[in-house]
Amino acid sequence: MSLLALSNITIRYGRLTAVRNVAFTLTEGEILFITGPNGAGKSSLLRAIAGVTPPAGGRIDFAGADITGRAPEDIARMGLSMVPEGRDVFGSLTIEENLLVGTGMHARERNWRSRAATELEAVYDTFPILKDRRHSQAGLLSGGQQQMLVIGRALMTNPRLIAIDEPSLGLAPNITDQVYERLIALRAHRALTLLIVEQSSTRAQLVGGRMILMRGGEVLLDGDARAMGQSEAMQAAYFGYGDH
Amino acid sequence: MQTIFDALSLGSLYALGALGIALIFGVMRLVNFAHGDVISFSIFALMWPSTDAMAVVFAGDLPWFLLIPFVLAVGAGLSVLSEIVVFRRFRRANPATMMIASFALGFVIRYFLLMLFSSRPKSISLLPALSQPVEIFGARIPLLQVITICATIAMLFALTAFLKRTRFGLEMRAAAENFTMARMLGVRANRVIMGAFALSGALAAAIGLILAAQTGTADIQMGAAVMLMAFIATVIGGLGSLPGAVLAGFLLGAASVVMQTVLPIDARPFRDAFVYGAVILVLIFRPQGLIAARGTKERV
Amino acid sequence: MAIPSVARRTISTPIILALILVALALLAVASGSRPFNQTIIDVFLRVILVVGLYIFIGNSGVISFGHAGFTCLGGYAAAWLTMPPMMKETLLPGLPAWLMALQLPFWAGAIFAALWAAIWAALFGKILMRLSGIAASIATFAMLAMINTIYSNWESVTAATSSVVGIPIIRTIWPYMIAAILAVFIAWAHAISRAGLALRAARDEPTAAAASGIDAPRERLIAFVISGAVMGMGGALFAHSIGVVTPDTFYLTLTFTTLSMLVVGGMGSLSGAVLGVVILSSLIQGLRWLEAGITVGTTTFAIPNGLQEITLGVVMILILVRRPSGIMANSELSWPRARPEKPGE
Repeated sequence: MSLLALSNITIRYGRLTAVRNVAFTLTEGEILFITGPNGAGKSSLLRAIAGVTPPAGGRIDFAGADITGRAPEDIARMGLSMVPEGRDVFGSLTIEENLLVGTGMHARERNWRSRAATELEAVYDTFPILKDRRHSQAGLLSGGQQQMLVIGRALMTNPRLIAIDEPSLGLAPNITDQVYERLIALRAHRALTLLIVEQSSTRAQLVGGRMILMRGGEVLLDGDARAMGQSEAMQAAYFGYGDH
Repeated sequence: MQTIFDALSLGSLYALGALGIALIFGVMRLVNFAHGDVISFSIFALMWPSTDAMAVVFAGDLPWFLLIPFVLAVGAGLSVLSEIVVFRRFRRANPATMMIASFALGFVIRYFLLMLFSSRPKSISLLPALSQPVEIFGARIPLLQVITICATIAMLFALTAFLKRTRFGLEMRAAAENFTMARMLGVRANRVIMGAFALSGALAAAIGLILAAQTGTADIQMGAAVMLMAFIATVIGGLGSLPGAVLAGFLLGAASVVMQTVLPIDARPFRDAFVYGAVILVLIFRPQGLIAARGTKERV
Repeated sequence: MAIPSVARRTISTPIILALILVALALLAVASGSRPFNQTIIDVFLRVILVVGLYIFIGNSGVISFGHAGFTCLGGYAAAWLTMPPMMKETLLPGLPAWLMALQLPFWAGAIFAALWAAIWAALFGKILMRLSGIAASIATFAMLAMINTIYSNWESVTAATSSVVGIPIIRTIWPYMIAAILAVFIAWAHAISRAGLALRAARDEPTAAAASGIDAPRERLIAFVISGAVMGMGGALFAHSIGVVTPDTFYLTLTFTTLSMLVVGGMGSLSGAVLGVVILSSLIQGLRWLEAGITVGTTTFAIPNGLQEITLGVVMILILVRRPSGIMANSELSWPRARPEKPGE
């Protein structure tokens, strides 16, 4: 059953159209990569899904409800957790505080505190480095650790879907490997649905799963990442020959 | 000795004012010019409308343990109301527009008070027991000054505890640093902003109480003077940085009092010019403020 | 310095604005009413001041709280230069002898007042224009407060907080109209000049502008000095319109009324600056009439005192809710069918 469905999404910034008529659906438990060169509209799409910049046209459904134009906090509370590009850690808060910010949304539920504590332990199990430095300021962490922190922070909200913008941006390859290893393990463990934006398609082909290739605000290809391989259309998308 | 206490108690007022402005700036990038008028309003809430020179007391005679919460609640209430009625409509507006809107709102509050109470300052005796002097280290200090300083310190501790130890405080700190990210983690924007307004309004009311008790008068203009200094303190402290606001508030208070004593007699009337000159110097050398807040750097 | 084609394309804006101002003046003359004449003079004065503010704020994007300080400098300079020496000896005994003996016609006084304000704008600006954003705003406010403190306390040359009276009063409307139109054309000329273009580029795209060699502090300083001069001229005429100056005439209230008019009209638009003044001034005037009372038949309706200001505040908030970027936003008035453009773009 589809967890997330986009139809005819168009996003504009002033006179500039960043995304034009994009549509796709994402099934529960699926892993979807959105790739494409700079300026393809990938991040804009994620921001629209998270409710940060509402689309100019089209409709977004999540978990059976229309979330087009809803506030970011409402969407987060429905179980869609967003990890934006640039790893927005709260630099002046400690690591533990960063992790706990998102648990407030469950405060109405019974024994949420003990659940948050359990959740916290689970995240620390996944990323032990965070536990070691739990009381230091998040701004002092290295890039890779910040990436772990924002993923952990997203997990703390106990989401059904995590959307991650460029998890490998600015990370050393071996750190990226680690981050992905954790993500894949988590997905298996928790039945998470993953929506990952990456500029390059290599990672998608390595991990496998579905891939959407965007360019100039439109979807060029949608299919199995590995099958897509180094197809001609893909070359065209990145290097700009062909009819675009 | 007297100088130190003067500096501390003046600094307390500025620090509380700066905190109130910094709290709101932190969560919504609004420089709230209506803050000074919230200060005035909280005091006039103690009286029945009248144009007499003597205040016709309404809630001013309450015992202190009811009086103080009442005034704080009035300040918080007015502040939250201003957010719901006015500022909520400016969420996407640029800072200059919000600033002018806050100024217009302050204007409305001020003239509303003026309609009810006229512009003449009123004498009001609040907590008269506090004006007796006490002896500390051989100096006679007004008890009120001591209480002002202690109350400010207590409020700073309470606020710190609130921000550090409660879930709501955590959400506020996160929102102050990166509002969009906090919302993406399910933090409710409106609640956090209303919380900031409530705290800020209560702080404004506390300033009003202290001012009224210190001067024995209620004056529609009295909020404005403190607010201007507090506003400057907020910027020098590093806009959005709460510790910075407090530090700068005390520094400004100290600078005013110290300059009053060290300047040669002829230059004393120009004291404020020196204080403002110092402000410009600080800004030139630390344009981001003494303690630069994260996430408030101007976007390039 | 203006590029001719740009000048031709945008000249319609200042011409339209000038025509509006001329129309107002004619209206005042035609009405023959003394109070209405004074009202229109006030409108022209505010146009000068708000356009002066626009030259700096509109082009640099930096909100200044300090420009009323230049108006103060200009107003007092006019007093020093145009008051009869006899009056000066009693009121301002500390003035130097040459200044004491001097009595210029009002227009010459206004020119020197503008220069005097410009000199101080250059001195202050040299230091302040290194700052940007809110730090710059606060620094300009600190400058205003410094000027106000000095003028409020320097007994022998400013009479401290007491009023300086005896400034020749000019009651004809034409000098004010000419000055307002002059201010509009100065603002337009600056906006389409290389300096104005560079400053707006630095406002909109700071990084790109810096990369292409624009020295933002320098361009800001130029705008600061020009706007300081216009504010100084406005201050001088202000003094001549009522014949009295006090330091607090040129302090917070003036700062906020002029800023409000600019923001309501549209911060980034010269037309907005003028229209903001005209619209808010008409509103204020209308409310004053209501406050004085309207007689319908035998009954007089009047709104209570204070309601004027409250209504003004509420209307301002409502306008800003509807038009967060001001009435004109970033566009300018121009001939119909011409492309709507900012000057110089």
